[in-house]
Amino acid sequence: MSFFKTFLNSPVGPKTTHFWGPVANWGFVAAAMADIEKPPEMLSGNMTGVMCVYSALCMRFAWMVQPRNYLLLVCHASNETVQLYQLSRWAGGQGYLQLKEDKTPSP
Amino acid sequence: MATSKLQALWNHPAGPKTIHFWAPTFKWGISIANIADFAKPPEKLSYPQQFAVTATGIIWSRYSMVITPKNWNLFSVNVAMAGTGLYQLSRKIRHDYFNEEETAAIKE
Repeated sequence: MSFFKTFLNSPVGPKTTHFWGPVANWGFVAAAMADIEKPPEMLSGNMTGVMCVYSALCMRFAWMVQPRNYLLLVCHASNETVQLYQLSRWAGGQGYLQLKEDKTPSP
Repeated sequence: MATSKLQALWNHPAGPKTIHFWAPTFKWGISIANIADFAKPPEKLSYPQQFAVTATGIIWSRYSMVITPKNWNLFSVNVAMAGTGLYQLSRKIRHDYFNEEETAAIKE
């Protein structure tokens, strides 16, 4: 019980914006999970690529900010993972991940 | 005079040498990517993604005004995000729910 009380009243707890901002950013992770089975032609390379850079920057930001925000860090680490996966699916769909086809017949 | 002001900005604790500058600055990339996607056909847009962009933009816009000091930079980038997200959502909804009469007529 006291653990919850400490959490509720902490400087990064649910009474503060330091909590609800990261909660809002979990929406990106949820959206990517909802789209995980979508065919790669439907994915946006623009948005996914930007998300990969953005979440990397925000992981660093969450670590350096005062007070250190572990919730934000975990949120963006998850988003980084899932967005990189979606980016690899998009790139595969665009043909960027193909090995060079050896057109000459092997002797 | 100008150089010392620039130097002050350059060395600011939330200035361009720090992540406190680049993380919010790069957030503009999300809105720019969304604007680039205005050209995409609505069938290719993602409801979950655009909803997440819009919701994040609205929530962070509110909170950037509640923190001390008020962060107008963060406010403006999140207003832009919410704006582009709402526009993309309207494009997709209009296409999915209000074009049915036209496509039915074409199919006839």
